[in-house]
Amino acid sequence: MTAAIRVMVVDDHPMWREGVSRDLTAAGYDVVATSGEGRQAVRIAAAARPDVVVLDLQLPDVSGVEVINGLQTEVPGVRVLMLSASGEQQDVLDAMKAGATGYLLKSAGQAEFLDAVSRTAAGDTVFTPGLAGLVLGEFRRLAVTEPAGADEGAPKLTERETEVLRLVAKGLSYKQIAERLVLSHRTVQNHVQNTLGKLQLHNRVELTRYAIEQGLD
Amino acid sequence: MPDARNSGLEAPLWRAIAVYRIAALTYATILVIGNISYYKRPMLAWPVLAVMAAWTVFTTYAYADPARRRAPLLLTDMAVVMAALTASIEIVGRHSLETGRPTLAVAWHVAPVLCCAVRFGRRGGIAAALVMGATDLLVRAHYDQSALTGSVLMLLAAIAVGYLVRIAEVAQERLERAVELEAATRERERLARDIHDSVLQVLALVKRRGAGLDGEAGELARLAGEQEAALRTLVGGRQAAVDPVGDELDLMALLHPYATADVTVSGPAGAVPLPAHAARELRAAVAAALDNVARHCDPGTKVYLFVEDDPGQVVVTVRDDGCGIEPDRLAQAEAQGRLGVAQSIRGRIGDLGGEVRIVSAPGQGTEVEMSVPRVPIS
Repeated sequence: MTAAIRVMVVDDHPMWREGVSRDLTAAGYDVVATSGEGRQAVRIAAAARPDVVVLDLQLPDVSGVEVINGLQTEVPGVRVLMLSASGEQQDVLDAMKAGATGYLLKSAGQAEFLDAVSRTAAGDTVFTPGLAGLVLGEFRRLAVTEPAGADEGAPKLTERETEVLRLVAKGLSYKQIAERLVLSHRTVQNHVQNTLGKLQLHNRVELTRYAIEQGLD
Repeated sequence: MPDARNSGLEAPLWRAIAVYRIAALTYATILVIGNISYYKRPMLAWPVLAVMAAWTVFTTYAYADPARRRAPLLLTDMAVVMAALTASIEIVGRHSLETGRPTLAVAWHVAPVLCCAVRFGRRGGIAAALVMGATDLLVRAHYDQSALTGSVLMLLAAIAVGYLVRIAEVAQERLERAVELEAATRERERLARDIHDSVLQVLALVKRRGAGLDGEAGELARLAGEQEAALRTLVGGRQAAVDPVGDELDLMALLHPYATADVTVSGPAGAVPLPAHAARELRAAVAAALDNVARHCDPGTKVYLFVEDDPGQVVVTVRDDGCGIEPDRLAQAEAQGRLGVAQSIRGRIGDLGGEVRIVSAPGQGTEVEMSVPRVPIS
């Protein structure tokens, strides 16, 4: 590692913020800023220019989606690893669609957390089994509510992508999946990343279409 | 019940009866003035009217107090009004009554009947209406249609009022229950927020800091992690959706409570509605599979519960990261009927027209895949 990776920690819980910052510093990261509020976080990020933001999904002032949108405007190319203490539900899915690149439960172990940060920094996506279930569910929902034949049509997963996501949801590690499907670790990682990419692209297209329909273009 | 009786819904009824009594007294006074020349003893009509007026004033105040709306007052009310009605025989006179002159009470005697209906419901109202109606008919001493019509109308009014009161009571009870439920829900949400902001975060932090440590610290961290997962499930809010929607149940809401530090539950963000019976059977099959893992694998084995909602079928997979079984051993055990759990799972899913696939390999854990068709085969 030539220059230390710049990390920002956003969480409304001071104890958590401190603990996470300490761990990150000990692991060789440069914690450039911390914040307990979403709006403030976006302002600080504009000046601190972090590479990775470790973001708590539930902030007191604004939603995770709004923070992610703000971060992407202020710091293009920033990677967002989301953490949440509560279950993996609609708000997690919304944040991922808005552009977060990783998701982890707060109860994950220290090693798992540091691994997730380094993978996020490297540009990989970090999936939990729960998130894989949500993403698969979302693709199926889109397939039902937006039947093919419509203009852009619903985004679809390839058979391989579906297969990989199902195995992630069943709790297999990338290594186990690679073994089972006779693929390289990198290919498994790419398949997972593609599924998220399709979902995020669809989300942007939807937002644009909505804006045009509402005459906001 | 007593609360419902003193409720805000009943008070207006008592006020309405008081207004009715005053209006009926005014009407009676007008008719007495108009008919007085036909009376047998006209001079006595005034004292009776005075008594009626006094009684009207008294009852207006007496019934205003919920504590006094009891049998003694109601029975006295009936008696006083019946006495005023009966006095018509002597004052108006038989002849005038038989030729169709009204009684001194005219319609004033309906008031206590309505009181009984409000206080004792439909049955009390009917009883009072029959007694008062019989007295009215006896006083009039002629039984033509117009005389009967008055009593029948009084009976119908008593029934209607009694029914109205019953409806008001039920509505009041429902309202109170809804208010209670709402308060409980709001309290639960507040608790969930508080727990989320404090306890959950600290537990997660403890688990994080201690993970990987040996001995007591590691054990404490593990315990904190378990409690964190349990609390998270509790305040997650999914439970609220367990109530059946029509005859369907949300499978996700049924399965979410199984999430612990070692059991991960994943599936779509929205509800996975299934016929209630199928959903319960699937839950029982999942519980059996989890139980099987707990019995045969090392403690701390991770389990993944995965729900897929396809248009044609619902697939639930229970996969453990623990001891895989050699495929031929599994088949062997099953063939010998020793795999009780597997059979109970197969039985339940088979009854729903579904299939069970058990995949197991050493080092990759065991995977139980249960698929149930969305449209039951008839």
